[in-house]
Amino acid sequence: MQPNRLKTGGRINRSKPLNFFFNGKAFKGYEGDTLASALLANDVKLVGRSFKLRRPRGIVGSGAEEPNSIMQVDKGAMAQPNVRATQVLLHDGLIAKSTRGWPSLRFDIGFMLDVFSSIFSAGFYYKTFMHPRPFWKYYERFIRKSAGFGKAPEHSDPETYEHRNAHCDVLVAGGGPAGLMAALTAASSGARVLLADDQTEFGGSLLNTATHVNSKPGSEWVRQTVSALSKLDNVTLLNRSTVFGYHDHNFLTIVQESDDHVRQREWRVRAKQVILSQGAFERPLVFCNNDRPGIMQASAVSTYINRYAVCPGERAIIFTNNDSAYQTALDLKRAGATVAAVVDSRKKGGGSYAAAVEQAGIPLLYGHLITNVSGQNHITKAHIAKWDGDNDAIIENSIKIPCDLIAMSGGWSAAVHLHSQAGGQNQWDHNLCSFVPGAISQQTISAGAGNGKWALEDCLQDGHDAGMSAAKRCGLQPIASEQLPAVSEIHTTPIEPLWRVPATVDPDRCPKQFLDFQNDTCVSDIRLAVREGYRNVEHVKRYTALGFGTDQGKLGNINGMAVLAETLGKPLEDVGTTTFRPPYTPVSFGACAGESVGSLYDPVRKTAMHDLHRSAGAKFENVGQWHRPWYFPKRGESLDAAVARECLKTRQSVGILDASTLGKIDVQGPDAVKFLERIYTHNVGNMSVGRCAYGIMLGEDGMVMDDGVMARIDDQHFYLTTTTGGAAAVLSWLELWLQTEWPELDVFLTSVTDHYSTIAVSGPNSMKLIEKIGCDIPLTSDQFPFMSIRNAHLNRIPVQLFRVSFSGELAFEINIDSNYAAGMWEVLIDAGQEFDITPYGTEAMHVLRAEKGFIIVGQDTDGSVTPVDLRMNWMLSKDKDFIGKRSLSRPDSLRDDRKQLVGLLSNDGKTVLLEGAQLVEDPAASIPIPMCGHVSSSYMSSCLGHPIALALVAGGHSRIGQSLYASSGEKSFVPVTITNPIFYDKKNELQNV
Amino acid sequence: MFKESNRSHGLESFIAPESEQNSQAQIKVSIQSNVAHINLRGKIKHRPFLEHMETVLDQKLPVKPNTTNFENHSIFWLGPDEWLILCPLSEATKLVKDLQGSGGSMHAAVNDVSGGQIALRLDGNHVRDVLAKGCTLDLHPSVFGQGMCAQSNLAKANVLISMGHEPHAFDLIVRRSFSDYLLHWLKVAAAEYTTEWSES
Repeated sequence: MQPNRLKTGGRINRSKPLNFFFNGKAFKGYEGDTLASALLANDVKLVGRSFKLRRPRGIVGSGAEEPNSIMQVDKGAMAQPNVRATQVLLHDGLIAKSTRGWPSLRFDIGFMLDVFSSIFSAGFYYKTFMHPRPFWKYYERFIRKSAGFGKAPEHSDPETYEHRNAHCDVLVAGGGPAGLMAALTAASSGARVLLADDQTEFGGSLLNTATHVNSKPGSEWVRQTVSALSKLDNVTLLNRSTVFGYHDHNFLTIVQESDDHVRQREWRVRAKQVILSQGAFERPLVFCNNDRPGIMQASAVSTYINRYAVCPGERAIIFTNNDSAYQTALDLKRAGATVAAVVDSRKKGGGSYAAAVEQAGIPLLYGHLITNVSGQNHITKAHIAKWDGDNDAIIENSIKIPCDLIAMSGGWSAAVHLHSQAGGQNQWDHNLCSFVPGAISQQTISAGAGNGKWALEDCLQDGHDAGMSAAKRCGLQPIASEQLPAVSEIHTTPIEPLWRVPATVDPDRCPKQFLDFQNDTCVSDIRLAVREGYRNVEHVKRYTALGFGTDQGKLGNINGMAVLAETLGKPLEDVGTTTFRPPYTPVSFGACAGESVGSLYDPVRKTAMHDLHRSAGAKFENVGQWHRPWYFPKRGESLDAAVARECLKTRQSVGILDASTLGKIDVQGPDAVKFLERIYTHNVGNMSVGRCAYGIMLGEDGMVMDDGVMARIDDQHFYLTTTTGGAAAVLSWLELWLQTEWPELDVFLTSVTDHYSTIAVSGPNSMKLIEKIGCDIPLTSDQFPFMSIRNAHLNRIPVQLFRVSFSGELAFEINIDSNYAAGMWEVLIDAGQEFDITPYGTEAMHVLRAEKGFIIVGQDTDGSVTPVDLRMNWMLSKDKDFIGKRSLSRPDSLRDDRKQLVGLLSNDGKTVLLEGAQLVEDPAASIPIPMCGHVSSSYMSSCLGHPIALALVAGGHSRIGQSLYASSGEKSFVPVTITNPIFYDKKNELQNV
Repeated sequence: MFKESNRSHGLESFIAPESEQNSQAQIKVSIQSNVAHINLRGKIKHRPFLEHMETVLDQKLPVKPNTTNFENHSIFWLGPDEWLILCPLSEATKLVKDLQGSGGSMHAAVNDVSGGQIALRLDGNHVRDVLAKGCTLDLHPSVFGQGMCAQSNLAKANVLISMGHEPHAFDLIVRRSFSDYLLHWLKVAAAEYTTEWSES
């Protein structure tokens, strides 16, 4: 039983009934309904409570402008907070709840707020809860609880969302008569056209009204046009798709509601030309208690009747200052409702429709106003009074006429939102009483009602012309229509502005006249803001909340600005509008994220041995986007225990590390030496073929930028390694110098980071292991000394073999084609069983290198550390220039109290310092305690049996042996001694064996 | 003594067993594991370089930006002085050697980068729809047709995209370390279509 449902008509499917629940009660609607039309069909009048005053509210509109029916739809992970019932397509089993109203919608405890509403004026919260100041934290708890709308979903969203990039010649935003005509015309040129409309069906106003096109119902012309468009390969039709953002460079974003595959899809469109045909919004009229349930936009009433076959009332009154609402009177009459009167504020009105209304026996009250209504949860009577057009008049005598529906129309505002987002100007049109698009700043054409063309005939012409221009601007040849669709000619009576109905008492003390329904902003609030000194529309907006909320002032903004203009005594165009920003309607986080959630949030880079490490039980850590084995725990082993074992075994026998993530760059060309001499600080030219060197590169500021081992493969052929994190940046840095500063150098760089996997084998038994798996070159130090490179075959696979060490042990690094790396790793593990080979991760790698005092760029340096600070003076060539060299002689670089790299030992021999801990000389000093450095690396060294740390200490190099204190949490300090940073094998003998 | 080191691209888990292959699938993804990838850099203004390379390759290097030449080997323009050459795996060692030529003054860099890249072929009427989910380039046939290539992002990975030999076939080349991510993304992006994952 749907009491307000009409027997015939509408675009709903009566053979497909749908069940839904609203506030726990079961209802029925039809396929094709929105939640709003289904609620109205079931005569549900009360749908929510207002934000501030908790006043009962009903459905006002039929689209994106709806301020009141803000719903929590569906439950649990599927919950959608704060959606407009007018934009929710009904589905079977839908569960909707009002987002406001406690303990129940009908008996909201907040009604007390309304009773005392006179004190809840603009700025109430600012004024009241600021005093006494410290109490805000108590007030806040209660205010937060009573504020806000719906609840966020309780679980992560199980649905999928996606992004979709699209390119087109012409994007048409809005598929009403102008948009359809524009798309059709533009498409005739062969242009790639994308037409988006936020409704389920294209057609816009033609489906909402009883208008005829070509002597047939408008919906028939829509059907033919959409069918013609859908047959064209060059046209993409997107329904249920809201263009919500118009960004720079004709880049627009669209959110498309669910289809079979995804819940929402965000289209990211790059269009050559954009046609904006989004229509217009009807304005409410501003009278006392104009927010009561039962008072609706006239156009919404027509929409519910024509599109959804729902008549929202039995006894209606029309209140208008323009002609369009006369059609609503006829629609209501045809739907079987009684229209008690058309109340028109003008002396004369209705244009072509006046006669029809009169013929239908509907009383026409010209020069009348509705000043107030009776009824709380639903209107029962309209208070109607005669008016002579004087805004300051006080209207005392009114007659009360019973009604359950008021259809109001305060005129129309062109939807200039996207035009404005694109940077376009707006201008006020006095005849239309609307802002219309002015100067454009992108490739945009506005058309139809959105361009101030109210009449259907003008809309079609405007759409046609826009389609022609857009296609021509793309350099294409559209085909002009010889004849536009025929519509009946009408004449109109001009609108007369009525921004505020004169009140029974003065406007500051009469019952509230609402401007912004969602934020409870009233005429009296705007007037108060002006009295308190606010002048600028942006300030008034923020003080009164006019135009905030989910509808962003689509309904109330223009009325509010007009009242502001009146109060300030300025013309409306001088007051202007607030800034229009994306999104046009709220967009879910899911649509913004698209596919980039969960494991696809950020790419995971894997080495060729990744799966082997996983099978070996490795714990991974993120290093940039790489996942690297952190440590390899045995059953039940802790991080500390595993790292201690991995370090000891490596130093005692042999350990194996996946070092594939190192950046690797191949450098070739006749000028390779010249180039690398300028990049690195050491004498590259002195290196003989087959030798390696540790190299550092500096920024122009002289600070250490990256480091790594580099090798001379041939006279003009080098191989560089970079830090894992620095790989991409270093390659770009080198290319930058080559391409922009030194184009005369004949040098070519190629990244081989992914091509080569790198396996480091370290420890006294590493040579034996390499020999065991079959190596075709001699490995002894006399033939293959420390810091050399050879091409070799290991287990018959060609490799680059390096004799280098990052652990201070006898060690080798194997560079191998990544396709063979996993196989090589397995071979080494198998062969290494004899030596109890131990795979180790990044943590053990860090400990082993710190024991040797080797730095990690980015951990022991931070972009403010020179090589001198690291005691690497020996690496700075005096014979040549290199990037950063001159900066090293700046006075600041020569200060002897610069932070310098040192070692630290805790005096108790037990405490592992916190990395990042500040170092102080006197913990008892008054706060703020002067700080003289920080701990950059700190580990428990299982090989030494005590903790070690590296630190940067002001003037540290000359302070060896002195004591400091390291912060170890709140008010607690550990005494430490400054040492040399090399803790293990101080003479570097092991790596040279 | 030890087992042979098998060649592996590491993406075996994506490939469906032969029995589950679906030749009617709307999207066919195939991992091209039998090709070698050779990176070539050199200055085309340097005539000996160009002559040597074109003689060895027996085809022209594409010099127009974002174009390919598939006459003999598949050659992709990567930059004004950089190309990618795909050739059968079995020919790679000889081709690299020949391209490097003899003598050290070639003014060129030839690198076998086969271990660092994965080549994929995507075939089917809806390939463009899938790619459009993660690629901001306009891949419409009127803009991006056969003989074209481009380096861009697909989702969050760098890729080289090119039109293959067939009208609906795209070739993607991705860095090895990103290939697992990219194939996962492709699985998700192509979920609305029937797919076949194979190796060739």
